[in-house]
Amino acid sequence: MRPSSQSLTLLALVALLFALAACAQIKALPNLPANHPEELASGPVSCTECHEDQQKGTLKQYAAFNHSRSFITNHRFYAGSDDVLCATCHKVSFCADCHTNQTEIKPSVKNGSRPDRVMPHRGDYLTLHKIEGKLDPASCHRCHGRANNERCVVCHR
Amino acid sequence: MKKVLSRLLASLSLAALPAAAYAADSLVDTTTLLRFSQDSRPGVAKSTLLPATVFLGLDADKLADGKLSAHVLGWGRADLADKSFNENQVDGSLTYGYLQYRFGAANAQARAGRFFVHEGILNEQVDGVSVRSDLPYGFGVSAFGGATVHNVRIPGTSSDGKGDGIFGGRVNYRYGGMFEIGLAGVYETVAPTMADPNLAGRFGSHRVIGADLWYSPFAKVALMARASINTETSRWAEQGYLLTVKPLKDLTVTGEFNDYQDRDLFYSSALFAAMPSMLSGNNLNQQSRTFGGSASYQLNPKFELTGDYKHYTREIGKADRLGAELRCTLSDLAVRTGAGYHYLRSSADFAVLPTLDASGSFHELRAWAMRDTKSYFASLDVIDYLFKREIDGKKNALELYGSLGYHLTPNLALSGDLSYGSNPQNTDELKGLIRLNYSMKLAGKGDTK
Ligand code: HEC
Ligand code: HEC
Ligand code: HEC
Ligand code: HEC
Ligand code: HEC
Repeated sequence: MRPSSQSLTLLALVALLFALAACAQIKALPNLPANHPEELASGPVSCTECHEDQQKGTLKQYAAFNHSRSFITNHRFYAGSDDVLCATCHKVSFCADCHTNQTEIKPSVKNGSRPDRVMPHRGDYLTLHKIEGKLDPASCHRCHGRANNERCVVCHR
Repeated sequence: MKKVLSRLLASLSLAALPAAAYAADSLVDTTTLLRFSQDSRPGVAKSTLLPATVFLGLDADKLADGKLSAHVLGWGRADLADKSFNENQVDGSLTYGYLQYRFGAANAQARAGRFFVHEGILNEQVDGVSVRSDLPYGFGVSAFGGATVHNVRIPGTSSDGKGDGIFGGRVNYRYGGMFEIGLAGVYETVAPTMADPNLAGRFGSHRVIGADLWYSPFAKVALMARASINTETSRWAEQGYLLTVKPLKDLTVTGEFNDYQDRDLFYSSALFAAMPSMLSGNNLNQQSRTFGGSASYQLNPKFELTGDYKHYTREIGKADRLGAELRCTLSDLAVRTGAGYHYLRSSADFAVLPTLDASGSFHELRAWAMRDTKSYFASLDVIDYLFKREIDGKKNALELYGSLGYHLTPNLALSGDLSYGSNPQNTDELKGLIRLNYSMKLAGKGDTK
């Protein structure tokens, strides 16, 4: 481990120098707003309804973020690289209804008055999960793997 | 439990109290749920469950020089009748609680406290600090470090299987809005040894590296990919690819492919690394794959039609899911309805009890409607799973879920839900809940809204 930790230190120093040199230029880079300037109603969102689809700086096309059914199903691909953009509209608590360390209430029950939301585990999931869990356990692992599994360990031991 | 509450209190008093006093803008959001149900399953002691759960969220923006903000979410539950969720009559958890500083440029920000990290392939919850910033020439960097947020102990062991310290980060490069590549890694300190013999050789420390990619050569096409390697086993853990094509303005077509090496992906999860099938022996696979596609078409501003297909390949068998959904939004969002049908065709190996004449196939039928006006909101949801072969003597699992509520004031809403279920575990399952949501914006001086 010794030689590699030395080269790591060297690498870190070079990175630091680069960072210092870049500092002046960083100040010129734009910020996204902390909060989306326009408050949106609940329900489906189409960015291109209000935004012309022109591409600006390192911002991706607005159309890519239209909340179509497929965007919602696949939002993990967007959240990983555009967290700051999502945060302009979404408080973390919005995500935490489904993504959390520990909870006792199904997202679809906490939001029981919103059948229009795309919530996982509707209906009798305790039965269904015995099939779904065998089908695609990797998808369950995302939320129950290292978190939110107090419920599971009661039976799965 | 005491630890959780004291932490909750500590963060609340640390972050929230001064926040309320100095913030120019804050948002308090509380939801109180009183649930009611009776457990009358055969073979289980009859009990009445009456848990009251309070979620408390607070976001205080524009603290100090206007760039500092505080964010807290936690919940607590008290059982007013029999014990509901676990052995604790009262329980609670701090979901997150952190201070955030947003610098004036480059989307640079720093966080301290308990927060979630979503950076490329990384998804973690940390008690610690994090920083991120865009860099010149399209580069970007983020890093986090601190203590892991521990979870419930796995019964029969003394831990949840997580190491105590964690750090990681991501560097990325963007070319305009067209191309992005990110490299990320996470390193958790050594995982505790777990006594469970099922975990022997399959469980260890959480150390993963990986890459994420976004490539959109022109507006109508985007390719996204994720791939990660478990450095403890030195093997691929996960690969995922998503291709999105928009041939027409209102049509989105996707294709996806995922490959999972289960033993490498589940390696640091004390629950999933063992996952011994309770009924059919151990069926933890190694190679699992899914591929599929979907098409969503916005027929007009009112109707969205989606069709989807997915194929699953595991070592134990194969399965296909096919279905469609229609959603309708009328009169300025005030009325929304939808209906969907899906069929899962799977081999007997996916059945709850994988015997020779069993089946894991089922039809899923769902229809729902809701109305939301200034004064009241109401919804009804019907969902029925029709099993191809009976499960515990039942042909289907039906749930009717209704909800009715009032906006008492613009900030205060009271609603009640009632659900009826008839399923393999309960013949008649009636559940109810009362929900009180209070959401209040406190605008300080200098704020225009
Ligand atoms: C109801 C109309 C409306 C919708 C829908 C909408 N926006 Fe906006 N957005 C605005 C307005 C108005 C502004 C402020 C003016 C501006 O910068 O264009 C804005 C600003 C922004 C900005 C800041 C731009 C800048 O340069 O500072 C971003 C980023 C943004 N919107 C992203 C989105 C995304 C992503 C979506 C879809 C998920 C979306 N918006 C949907 C109205 C809307
Ligand atoms: C311009 C604001 C805006 C931006 C930016 C934005 N969203 Fe949304 N999003 C919304 C609104 C509004 C809803 C609807 C909430 C509701 O119905 O209560 C929503 C809903 C969602 C839902 C839930 C859908 C459902 O049916 O349950 C998810 C998941 C989601 N967004 C993820 C993301 C992710 C990930 C990003 C970042 C890539 C993002 N959003 C960016 C405004 C936005
Ligand atoms: C309505 C429930 C719901 C909400 C709200 C929600 N998600 Fe998700 N999220 C899911 C589901 C379901 C998956 C798993 C998708 C799959 O792989 O099948 C997921 C997956 C993810 C993943 C991938 C996790 C991993 O380990 O690979 C990330 C990252 C993510 N969501 C981020 C977000 C963010 C950020 C928000 C808030 C803007 C959000 N989600 C809101 C349901 C939700
Ligand atoms: C987006 C995150 C997310 C994903 C993905 C996810 N779950 Fe869940 N799941 C939750 C949350 C939140 C709860 C509610 C808390 C609880 O009961 O532990 C829950 C509850 C459950 C329950 C208890 C249901 C009940 O009726 O009380 C089961 C069983 C379950 N999940 C199994 C699964 C299986 C199997 C998968 C994969 C097919 C999966 N989950 C995928 C978030 C998720
Ligand atoms: C009431 C007991 C019970 C609870 C609670 C429970 N499960 Fe299960 N689970 C089962 C049974 C029974 C099976 C199917 C029989 C078998 O093991 O093959 C199963 C199967 C699974 C499978 C398929 C893998 C396998 O070994 O067959 C996964 C994955 C799974 N459950 C995840 C979860 C998760 C995640 C949770 C918590 C959110 C959870 N379960 C909660 C009883 C339960």
